[in-house]
Amino acid sequence: MSSPVLQAEHLSKRYGRREALSDCTLSIPPGHVVGLVGPNGAGKTTLLQLAVGLLRPTAGTITVLGGRPASGGPQLAKVGFVAQDAPTYAGLSIADHLRFGAHMNPGWNQQLAADRIAQLGLDPSQKAGKLSGGQRAQLSLTLAIAKTPELLILDEPVASLDPLARREFLQALMGFVADRRASVILSSHLVSDLERVCDYLIVLVASRVRVAGEVENLLATHYRLIGPRRDPADLPPGIDVIEASYTDRQSTLIVRSAAPIHDPSFAVELITMEDLVLAYMARATTSRQPVLETIR
Amino acid sequence: MTWFAWRQFRIPSWITAAALLAVAVLLAITGHNLVDEWNASGAATCHGDCGGALTTFIQRATTGAEGIAFQLTTVLLYAMPALIGIFWGAPMLARELESGTYRLAWNQSITRTRWLGTKLAVGGAASALSAGLLSWAVTSWGHHLDHARYYRILPVMFGARGIVPIGYALFAFALGVTMGMLIRRTVPAMAATLAIYVAAVVSMPLWVRAHLAPAVHGTMPLDLSSIDILSIGQNSVMTVRSGVTPSNAWVLTNNTITPSGKIFTGPADPTHCGDGGPRECIQWLSTLGLRERLTYQPASHFWQLQWMETGMFVAAAALLTAFCFWFIRNRLT
Repeated sequence: MSSPVLQAEHLSKRYGRREALSDCTLSIPPGHVVGLVGPNGAGKTTLLQLAVGLLRPTAGTITVLGGRPASGGPQLAKVGFVAQDAPTYAGLSIADHLRFGAHMNPGWNQQLAADRIAQLGLDPSQKAGKLSGGQRAQLSLTLAIAKTPELLILDEPVASLDPLARREFLQALMGFVADRRASVILSSHLVSDLERVCDYLIVLVASRVRVAGEVENLLATHYRLIGPRRDPADLPPGIDVIEASYTDRQSTLIVRSAAPIHDPSFAVELITMEDLVLAYMARATTSRQPVLETIR
Repeated sequence: MTWFAWRQFRIPSWITAAALLAVAVLLAITGHNLVDEWNASGAATCHGDCGGALTTFIQRATTGAEGIAFQLTTVLLYAMPALIGIFWGAPMLARELESGTYRLAWNQSITRTRWLGTKLAVGGAASALSAGLLSWAVTSWGHHLDHARYYRILPVMFGARGIVPIGYALFAFALGVTMGMLIRRTVPAMAATLAIYVAAVVSMPLWVRAHLAPAVHGTMPLDLSSIDILSIGQNSVMTVRSGVTPSNAWVLTNNTITPSGKIFTGPADPTHCGDGGPRECIQWLSTLGLRERLTYQPASHFWQLQWMETGMFVAAAALLTAFCFWFIRNRLT
């Protein structure tokens, strides 16, 4: 149970000359709800599609639950996937979708699927093409959950949903995690979606992983320093400046430091997940040098 | 997976079954009349020279409802493989790729290879079955007519009889699937499928079919009682072609040759082939010892050609299918 759910070594994916994912090295321990966050076009979908085997790496390797993605029926059975925009067969009814799941998956749990549909108040004879975006996302989640995977991967599952549907969807997802003790990886370009549900965070900006680690660890090692204006190069070693902003008299630094900071000239504050993600995004756009760090 | 492949295929297969049933009704009604006319004309019981009886039969059988049914079914046998390619083949992968549902299908607990294999097996079996049924029904419906006049070895009829329609259908289906996979959009894939199918089917009688079985060569004295072409061009260049050919044969070349074996091109003798009219000119030609040289596919080659052409199209379908498997495993990533 301690082997990683997802392990990537120097994973890269190129489309022609465009690099969608560059030199990604990751090791995600099991039992987490992993948030993959980054701006649109950062490579989140590419990474997730590599993990489910819809894409193949240009270079490097990726293993999911110890196997090569989509390498066979048993591997496919272990991973549930809700693709971006929650694709469903518009001409088929909800009941047909459940029958589809039952025929395609040896581990299918019909009871679970039927209960979920009933709970959502959906009519099984309704065509999927007539469902709202939120209902379609719920149907996709039902299909992915009822195949009883060990790892559930969701690509921007709530991006097109209104706030209420968003909350309902995430609640359903959390219910599944609590019941099944499965691992989940979900992506979003909005930190607020992930804040409440994730305990592991990966920030992906411009095709590179900028930071990855348990949320608790990340928040405990990042600080906001506010003090008189000074050159960040003067800071003691062991403090990595992620983002710096200045007024005439004052410096505001977001830093990462394994050890607590005892510098009387600074006011030291803990930061939120949103601050942290924004700092790494800002750093990625201002500095050209790649940052590859992982907290495990 | 088989259940799901059928589920997606349900409406198209109902439509096809309904269309086949309509054709069957049409054939049953007109087929009854055909048999009556066959018996009434005397062709059924005649021995020896049946020319008169057959002419009577053909005259009756090619007018009215039977004539329409005959032309309609010929068109239908060429159109059906195209429709199969367009409406079964092209959307099969294109619609999944276009609407994104492949991302759902490929993340169930079966591999893409099996997913594709099941889809192709169901669609391919339905294609072969539908085309085979239609061809069998039309062939047995029209066998008196085929016997009396409409030589099934001739280019137009050949593709609408026997087992060739099955080969066309399998090819068109695999072609549609391949185009859908490569183009990833349903409507352009349909158009590409139609264009390539038409090109393939038309090219067969034009360039390929004649070489699928060794043609028969024959030389005989030029029969001047039935001349197809007699023309005199510039510099007295002559073209002469006899209209006498073996019955039920697909004539590939028909040349008039001189006793030394060269193709006869004149020159026309102005004293005979001038103002005197064709009769005198033909009289003059008969003194030259001209011969008629033919190459043709006789009616007896029908089944050999059928098997060869069907084999070619089935092989093409198999190649396309293999390409689909390779592509979906290695390229659609």
